[in-house]
Amino acid sequence: MISFEPFLILDGGMGTMLQAQGLAPGSVPELWNIERPETITAVHRAYVEAGADVVYTNTFGCNRLKMARTGHSVQELIAAGVRCAKAAGAKYTALDIGPIGQLLAPTGTLSFAEAYDIFREEIEAGQDADILVFETMSDLLEVRAGVLAAQEHGGGKPIFVTMSFEENGRTFTGCCVEAMALTLEGLGVDAVGVNCSLGPEELVPVVQTLCSWTTCPVIVKPNAGLPDPVTNAYNFSPERFAACLKPFVEMGAVIFGGCCGTTPAHIRAAAELLHTLRPVQRHPQIPAAVCTANRVVTVTEPRIIGERINPTGKKRFKQALAEHDTDYILGQAIAQVEAGADILDVNVGLPGIDETEMLCTAVKAIQGITDVPLQLDTTDPAALAAGLRIYNGKPIVNSVNGEEDPLNTVLPLVKRYGAAVVGLTLDKNGIPKTAEGRFAIAKRILDRALALGIRREDVYIDCLTLTASAEQAGVMETLHALTRVKEELGVRTVLGVSNISFGLPDRELVNRNFLTMALYAGLDLPIIDPNKESMTAAVRTYKLLANLDRDAVDFIAHYGNAPAAAPKPQTPEQMSLAAAITAGLRSEAGMLTQQLLETTEAMEIVNEHLIPALDRTGAAFEKGQIFLPQLISAASAAQAAFEVIKTYLTEHSGETIDRGTIVLATVKGDIHDIGKNIVKILLENYGYRVIDLGKDVPCEAVAEAAEQSRAPLVGLSALMTTTLPSMEKTIALLRERCPWCKTVVGGAVLTADHAKRIGADYYARDAKETVDIAKQVFQGTEGEST
Amino acid sequence: MIRFTEIDRKQAFRYTGMHGTPDEKLLALADRCERKLLAAAVPNYVYRVCPLTSSETGIHCTGTALQLTGKDIAAHLNGCTQAILLCATLSAGADAAIRSGSAADALEGLVTDAMASALTEQLCDAAEQEILQRFPDCYPTWRFSPGYGDLPLDIQGDLLAAVGAEKRLGVSVSAGGMLIPTKTVTAVIGLAPQPIPKGKRGCAVCRMAKTCQFRAKGVHCE
Repeated sequence: MISFEPFLILDGGMGTMLQAQGLAPGSVPELWNIERPETITAVHRAYVEAGADVVYTNTFGCNRLKMARTGHSVQELIAAGVRCAKAAGAKYTALDIGPIGQLLAPTGTLSFAEAYDIFREEIEAGQDADILVFETMSDLLEVRAGVLAAQEHGGGKPIFVTMSFEENGRTFTGCCVEAMALTLEGLGVDAVGVNCSLGPEELVPVVQTLCSWTTCPVIVKPNAGLPDPVTNAYNFSPERFAACLKPFVEMGAVIFGGCCGTTPAHIRAAAELLHTLRPVQRHPQIPAAVCTANRVVTVTEPRIIGERINPTGKKRFKQALAEHDTDYILGQAIAQVEAGADILDVNVGLPGIDETEMLCTAVKAIQGITDVPLQLDTTDPAALAAGLRIYNGKPIVNSVNGEEDPLNTVLPLVKRYGAAVVGLTLDKNGIPKTAEGRFAIAKRILDRALALGIRREDVYIDCLTLTASAEQAGVMETLHALTRVKEELGVRTVLGVSNISFGLPDRELVNRNFLTMALYAGLDLPIIDPNKESMTAAVRTYKLLANLDRDAVDFIAHYGNAPAAAPKPQTPEQMSLAAAITAGLRSEAGMLTQQLLETTEAMEIVNEHLIPALDRTGAAFEKGQIFLPQLISAASAAQAAFEVIKTYLTEHSGETIDRGTIVLATVKGDIHDIGKNIVKILLENYGYRVIDLGKDVPCEAVAEAAEQSRAPLVGLSALMTTTLPSMEKTIALLRERCPWCKTVVGGAVLTADHAKRIGADYYARDAKETVDIAKQVFQGTEGEST
Repeated sequence: MIRFTEIDRKQAFRYTGMHGTPDEKLLALADRCERKLLAAAVPNYVYRVCPLTSSETGIHCTGTALQLTGKDIAAHLNGCTQAILLCATLSAGADAAIRSGSAADALEGLVTDAMASALTEQLCDAAEQEILQRFPDCYPTWRFSPGYGDLPLDIQGDLLAAVGAEKRLGVSVSAGGMLIPTKTVTAVIGLAPQPIPKGKRGCAVCRMAKTCQFRAKGVHCE
């Protein structure tokens, strides 16, 4: 056991000390663990003599990526590093683990699994250390990978995590202090804190926030001020550095050390100061909250959970899932967020698909484009566990109920990954008719959660909405139960609202009124369709009237400057579908298509209206009469028209429009995908089925997709000269494995000549030209509908 | 960190491939993209000044492991005794804004990306101006980046290490050789003790000269 009493004193900077001993710029400090172990031990010893209880091993960058060029293994360098530290005679040796140095997807290209494995290797190599420390971290997802690896391969050693915050209170990747605190306390680390980036004075507000958002011991390990850009020297004397630590003691921090620019003299001064002080007890009142790395949503007032990412009763959504159409799900996500959702429910369960894989894909993709927290909605414990593992932040689990089985499988997962959980008030006997019965189940769920160490604030009880048409008397029972669980159990409440109106006319009217009643009864988390403006408006109005939206700030922001109602989209008499597309009018294009479908065959609309309009736009683009923005605008309008047709076909005939399959990818190593996405839309406009593999795609994945789909055409994109070799490799592999398949390449650095040199069949200058090439390749098979 | 209140639209529209006057719809979209991008991006830069020494293998930036190789950088730094090594980034937040825009709508993605490119240029200009104020007695060259002329891209790692970009700015080089976050620029600015002749710049040393869409249309990106 590590003793934090009264304070735990860490060491100071290593890099500065080694440079003073002659470490050349750009060389690898970890090599000295083997080449000059006595120097490393001497630095550690100087810190021990200065009063440090803990020394950090000289292994900050010691991972397989950064050590690849040293000729030494991670195992050798870390084992030597731990030996050097142990030889200094400190009370505790901490295995120092820094950021991997490659950013994780979606910003970078490293996968969560790779990150986990890199950390696992470091942790196993450092098994003789007493503490595992992650420091100078910026990406919360990377931290999560590290902490999970530490918990699963670290032999139960204490885990400390410190992240580096900038003046704006966020890390470089945008992670905020509250999100770090919620996520890491939830995962069960032993101490959290801050290091590097700023001097002690600038860290005051950051540490203040941290102390009020975690019950974990708090670590403060600042730089000795800020570096001078010309001399590269840090400017705080040991005395000034130590004096700056006092406010942190008053806030309740108990673990102190120094980062860049600090020396044994700084640590000695700090230790001397700390010997004169007593730790301050903290009693943080952490609110009920969920988060992503970049956004915390407190459940201290009503918050909207968007319900649209769910295939139940939606044929088009089911089709999207079956086709692995992530863009469709992302479209649903972004629309709900823009409409006012605070949290998104994510349900991607469908018989016949691999839900574990799909849920992980969806979670990663949604977290790549929006920072609202998610509610993982699944009945499959394996899918849930996998989703919780890769989720960046603290999510909600939807759901457990009063039955033994889910209580035994789901609650431990909630605890393991530090999530919040929805508890449904039903059990093996079904939904109790009375409020009393539902209250009893809620209490059972809460007791079980508390027994596992899940906080009361993290249990959200759902008293279950019954349809008013079938069980009219049950409506008020639901609301009575809701009020009781909230008041008597002190938990938050959640309710799926839309079910209330099932089977009734004017559902939105019923939903809206029930929503207001439920909010008044104490509902915290309404699960609704936020795209229905009247529903989000009801929540905003309630918050105004309940004095939650102080001074009506939010209400006025939304409705104060409401523009005059947008001119109503024109009717078909005034505008043709082709004109709407050319003008880039999405909603008009959708509406006109809807109207056309009443009188015209779907395929006729495609062939007689959509394609000719697109051809004309394409020709105008080629002639330089219009430019890329207008071309994309028209393509988006055509996309809206296609969406209407697709939905119509899935609901009426089960047909799909399919002029042939094309595989698209941005090649391995490249993460620019804007150009590729534009190509995709245009190809889809022309009725091709596009398998979009995304960006940074390994050549094997391209070959595999082409092989499986027997696609006659593969499109590859690259924006960087450095990634052209990976394009060439992909083409070579396609030649070998899919000899029937043609390749078209594009991207800023390519030329027709270069395309020929790397073996591509076609070079496309822009998206329009790709469509022309596709037409050529698919000639003779067009116009088919299956 | 530098705060910007607006983005150079003219430049941004040029990056989208747009000529002439944008219509109202596009202007409204640009407003929205600008607002979101300015809220998401954290424009910031770090730099370091190094004395230069020449050797047969190239120009060495003293105090770092960085070696500048090739004819073009040698010509660029001719007469300079020191160099400013610069790394400027819009941060991961800008990348997130671009991804989010693309998910909403392809055009919004394109415009956000172009806006971000324009803002990166503004950031570099502002950074350069701030830095040069510290060297009133020196004569600076323009910014020369890895990938221009024959200055290889694979010096990015050493350049980032020299300015401490990973720790101080959150910038790294991916396995594929890209700077991440994507809206990041590294550059070398030479400092000479006396006036230096203006070197070649623009298309003459640009790697994109042969494939450039702007040049194809008879215009320039700058």
